[in-house]
Amino acid sequence: MKTPQTNAKKVSPVAKGIAAANKIVAPIAPRNSAKALERKNIRAALVSFASLVGRPVKNEDGSVIGKLVDVVVRHNFETYPAVSGLIVKVGQSKAYIDGARITKLNHKEVVLQAKSINLSDFQRHEGESLLDADVLDHQIVDVDGLRVVRTSDLYLAPLDKEIRVVGVDISFRSFIRRIFPNVISRRPNPESVVDWGKVASLADGSGVVRSSESRGALSKLRPADIADLIEDLQGREQGALIEMLDPKLAADALEEMEDEELQGLMRGLPTERAAELISHMEPDEGAEVLRDLDEDHRESILEEMDTKVSKDLRKLVSFDETLAGGIMTTHVLTAIESETVGTALKRIVENKDRDVSDGILIVDEKGKLIDHIQLVELVAAKTSAELSTLVGPPYPTAVRIDTRLPEVIEEFANNRGSSIVVIDEKNKPVGRILADDLVDALSTENDDLHGVAQGSGAL
Amino acid sequence: MATKNGELISPKKLRVAAFLGVMGPGIIAGLSDDDPAGITTYSTLGANYGYQLLWTLLISTIALIIFQDLGARIGVVTRQGMIGLVRQKYGARSGMLSALVLVLANIGTMTAEFAGIAAAGELFGLSKYVSVPLAALIVSILVLRGSFARIEKVFFLLSAVFLSYVIAGFLAHPNWGSAFKGLVVPSMPLTHDAIYIATATLGTTLAPWGLAFIQSYAVDKRLTRDDLKLLRVDVWTGSLLTGVIGFFVVVTCAATLKVSGTKVDDAARAAQALQPLAGTLAKELFAIGLIGAALLAASILPLSTAYSVSDLTGRPAALNDKYKDAPLFYSTFGVITLLSAALILIPGAPLIKILILTQILNAILLLPLLIYMFGISRDRKLMGEFIATKRMSIIYLVIISIVALAIFGMFWFSLVK
Repeated sequence: MKTPQTNAKKVSPVAKGIAAANKIVAPIAPRNSAKALERKNIRAALVSFASLVGRPVKNEDGSVIGKLVDVVVRHNFETYPAVSGLIVKVGQSKAYIDGARITKLNHKEVVLQAKSINLSDFQRHEGESLLDADVLDHQIVDVDGLRVVRTSDLYLAPLDKEIRVVGVDISFRSFIRRIFPNVISRRPNPESVVDWGKVASLADGSGVVRSSESRGALSKLRPADIADLIEDLQGREQGALIEMLDPKLAADALEEMEDEELQGLMRGLPTERAAELISHMEPDEGAEVLRDLDEDHRESILEEMDTKVSKDLRKLVSFDETLAGGIMTTHVLTAIESETVGTALKRIVENKDRDVSDGILIVDEKGKLIDHIQLVELVAAKTSAELSTLVGPPYPTAVRIDTRLPEVIEEFANNRGSSIVVIDEKNKPVGRILADDLVDALSTENDDLHGVAQGSGAL
Repeated sequence: MATKNGELISPKKLRVAAFLGVMGPGIIAGLSDDDPAGITTYSTLGANYGYQLLWTLLISTIALIIFQDLGARIGVVTRQGMIGLVRQKYGARSGMLSALVLVLANIGTMTAEFAGIAAAGELFGLSKYVSVPLAALIVSILVLRGSFARIEKVFFLLSAVFLSYVIAGFLAHPNWGSAFKGLVVPSMPLTHDAIYIATATLGTTLAPWGLAFIQSYAVDKRLTRDDLKLLRVDVWTGSLLTGVIGFFVVVTCAATLKVSGTKVDDAARAAQALQPLAGTLAKELFAIGLIGAALLAASILPLSTAYSVSDLTGRPAALNDKYKDAPLFYSTFGVITLLSAALILIPGAPLIKILILTQILNAILLLPLLIYMFGISRDRKLMGEFIATKRMSIIYLVIISIVALAIFGMFWFSLVK
């Protein structure tokens, strides 16, 4: 883990000041130990950000400089985001004050160290966001509870020599507390505060807020759960969640989403990101997404892709969804009949993440389909044997690329296998149709009968 | 949009078009605006002031079109409900305020729907102590069991009975010249009652719930920017329909009730306006329209409010959530339905007065919501390329000022009197 790149000279007064203010020893514990909120001294030092807004910002001599408007944090993706500055209302204008000047910060006030304060306009830097403008009251993902909530409060505490955002409050109670601040106590209710690492904040100032921990937690979710979360999020937050996912996982999640939802999402994403995600999807699913986009958008996405991938996708997109070519997946593993069993097995292993583990297609020198050989047969045979020795009935079911959907279904039903091979006019295998491709094709047909998306059924 | 395959319109788009065309949210909101409160307000406007105040209806209809259009756009672009968006942009207190405003306005409107049921029931000789609890029960069961979608079309057809005002209007031989003059030349009798009814017209036409509903609808049905054009057609159609029906209600009442000097102080009197068309069956026709429109609005209203309010917590909840997961959703639903039914059951509650007063309440509560919507429409971060242009912003501000002026005028007259 990298150490935060901060200037030691600037940092020490902050830690000292806070330690003094909280009458605790500055906690300089190793960052990668337990979660921040599980440490007692940090819990005791929590300062509610929502209560802090509007409080006076003072000089050390006690004179008031202005009122706190917002807090700027810098996202270090490996740990809790540190406060990098304050936005303070001085007279009628808003000014930016460097966070290094803070000597004391509690729920009543912020005290600054210097006598003369350099007031400047705030300019957002890469990787910074504003707690009030970008995070508070915005949607976040509660990774533990698998749901989308709004931030009711944020908690700051000294940690690793800096003031950091360590906790998030997502309870409705704290939301109510902010409406009637004097009725209910200002102190955080420990049960409703969640460690920053357990939520995925989707604020985008200039970069996406992400903690490595929440990313890790997200990556452990099932793609279908992530799809649900994406669907629950709205607008820019939706894009932000996708940004923080690993492209492979994001692509898997997108495959689980409703068609209409997915289309809407794709329209909102930047072209490069859309291109990256679609190339990580199964080719047939990717082609389906592309097919639903308008032509210009589709072209600009395809242009962003690797030429090899885009060439395949272009071909798939050109097929109608009611034809075999429109629903097939283009992943086919082939071996020439004169090659050995060992070569074939090696090829299968090399492509193991490509969903083709049930065997390999055998073709002749010209690439024409001869047979499909099951993995079991390959494993049972001698590695030095020529593949042609394994050729024999039962032969695989194959359909032409322009076969209509009803006939494909019939072939499937007759054959009772888990997949059929799709061949072009020269009998070369170009794709396979798996059972789930058929299910997808059929459910799309069904949607057409059932009209518009029904939403939640609420309205 | 032409595609390479030679298809003119994608199948999905056709479906959306067909759906919106038949019974889109704009049309539902439009017909629900001609609910018992709307019909009573428009009837009173015509019966008491003839054609003179028709211009207030014109302004209300324009305001309805403009703000429903904005609501649809905000919903599609931000993909967030109104209340959640206000919380996000303006903070916790504003979020709570907008939720309270919406709940209060909708308790008012829901009370008006039950008043309509009670009034219709009385036309058939049915006590309100039977009709109102029955209606509340029917609506809650239909909605909570999710079988509303099937029966919706029935209510829809029943409420379409009010289209008969268009025919009644012609049969009543109104003075078209005066009607046109009243529509385009604003004049205002400076009396307490006139300002009240003008404000109620504004509040019943541009109802707060409709604004929240259209936005939630776009979010819930996940309509995209591509659907926006169709949604706007639907919103404009629905809003115009509201205005046209309203116009004919006023004209019919002006030509009948105003001429005979009848005041609308109960539903039977209001129904007399339909006599040129329905003769002795006028009462029955009117009652059927009231019941249909009231049940349609009463089914959508608590649900759409609960949906909007639960957005305070992060995401709008809905019927497929359990009570434990969405307490705010279900309690909002319950409070609105029970409280409004209870208000009507107070012995001696003056139904027609309630119908009009709730609409005045609507107009007052409208103001903060319109201001929030205006602020959101000017926010580039939220609206992106759909940010309101300078010209539209001026139009929004003019409408907001008119609403403010009506409210101010009303308070001023109340205090002076």
